[in-house]
Amino acid sequence: MSGALRCFGVLAAEAFRDGLRRRFAFAVALFMIAGLVGAESCTDFSNAQLSLNEHTIPPEVVAGFVAPLLVGWQALAVMVIASVVASDHLARPLHEGSAALWLARPVSREVFAAARLAGALGVALGAGAVLIGGSSALVLTRQHLPVEPALAAGAATAVGALAVAALAMSASLVLGRTAVLLLAVAGIPYVALANAVVLVGQLVHPDVELGGLLGAVDRFGPPLGTAVIAAVAPWNPHVEASGAFAPAFGRLALWAAGSVVLLALTFRRVEIE
Amino acid sequence: MFAFELAAATKRYGRRPALIGVDLAVPAGTAVGLLGPNGAGKTTALRLLLGFVRPTRGAVRLQGRDPFDAAARRGVGYLPERLRLPGAMTLRRFLRVHGVLAGLGGEDLAREVEAVAESTGVRDRLGERLESLSKGLAQRAAFAAALLARPELLVLDEPTSGLDPLGVRDARDWALAARARGATVLVSSHVLSEVERVCDHVAILREGRVVAAGPLDRVVQPGETLEDAFVRAVRG
Repeated sequence: MSGALRCFGVLAAEAFRDGLRRRFAFAVALFMIAGLVGAESCTDFSNAQLSLNEHTIPPEVVAGFVAPLLVGWQALAVMVIASVVASDHLARPLHEGSAALWLARPVSREVFAAARLAGALGVALGAGAVLIGGSSALVLTRQHLPVEPALAAGAATAVGALAVAALAMSASLVLGRTAVLLLAVAGIPYVALANAVVLVGQLVHPDVELGGLLGAVDRFGPPLGTAVIAAVAPWNPHVEASGAFAPAFGRLALWAAGSVVLLALTFRRVEIE
Repeated sequence: MFAFELAAATKRYGRRPALIGVDLAVPAGTAVGLLGPNGAGKTTALRLLLGFVRPTRGAVRLQGRDPFDAAARRGVGYLPERLRLPGAMTLRRFLRVHGVLAGLGGEDLAREVEAVAESTGVRDRLGERLESLSKGLAQRAAFAAALLARPELLVLDEPTSGLDPLGVRDARDWALAARARGATVLVSSHVLSEVERVCDHVAILREGRVVAAGPLDRVVQPGETLEDAFVRAVRG
């Protein structure tokens, strides 16, 4: 194993432990439990009689609407968790001074930042694996839906979490934590809202394009919501979404790569106490 | 071969100059004391050497390389002035992580951690969290980390801070042992008597400039103590 990889491994493991030791991790654990309890109750309708305007609705149709919404908001939550953990996971050891101890060793800035990012993502994606994995397992076994969309949604969530965590970490090197938290907690849902509005709009009027800020965010921003919803859209037999996932996932991957590069460039300019 | 070099190195924080055109070249294997009153630029010089900050002008070389290059910091042990140890880690894990970063692994790592903990008097604290250590023990723990893997360049910023008289003597012995095996030792300190005992060269900074530098017996004139030479240099 190369020296840089060994350094990354040991620092990432430490960053992960550091993430687990934080009080926020306790809140994440509670959130996971609540999320799974919620998923358990809202996926258990196989034996129910569902009707709308006196028309009986088959459970698989209900599942086709409920499952994407469930996985979609959980993916959103995982991305918010990733950005919140990342918002001071690099900045805190820099301000406290413990980073200087590690960076006095033959550890490049890039390796150190990547390790802190990996530690933050480890916490968020660990929570995501439990939450989305558990909910998907419930949906798949109870409603007999295919597994591929769940895997694609998991991949989109991971890449989205990487993008927002790297952006939050970069921002934390130049902004205060409160500002970064506000950006993350408001920004991620806003992007997801823009994606959702455009998706719904296209279902109703496929040729109409959304303008304004929402439209611009959807067109040029990271497709956090689009990629996840496009991944799980095949669960709904009434939605034609074939071919929507790959371009959205590709654009999200580009955003993730760009965010990581931005983090590396920003950290190179930081003066260490 | 110079262990490190500052060539016309200037560092400004905003408009405030911390170092101004500093020239300093330290051959490998020497023990040099970096002296100066508060705010003279000693810590800034160390931060430049370790690649924590970049010079505004001039050049800095550490073991022949740009200190920003991670490879330049291979074989460097660093004891910072303001200790900010990651409190939730146990001392053993802290030292093991340092050991891995220094290139140790396997049995060498375990052996070296035990040995350095033994020599710095913290072996029976290896299982304790760093946050539970007293100031003096934390200083010893940080010393242990700096001494891991037998560094070729030992950078000590106020090494006796927080140590009791026994600890001060131990710290001196560790620095002297490093010097005796051929390591370069750089000590930034206000405790002139300790610098005098450990170092064979000194550099005195005043307001960001080097005002005296060289072998101890050239900087300190006959009949003077290092304190006399220091006062003469900083008062101009």
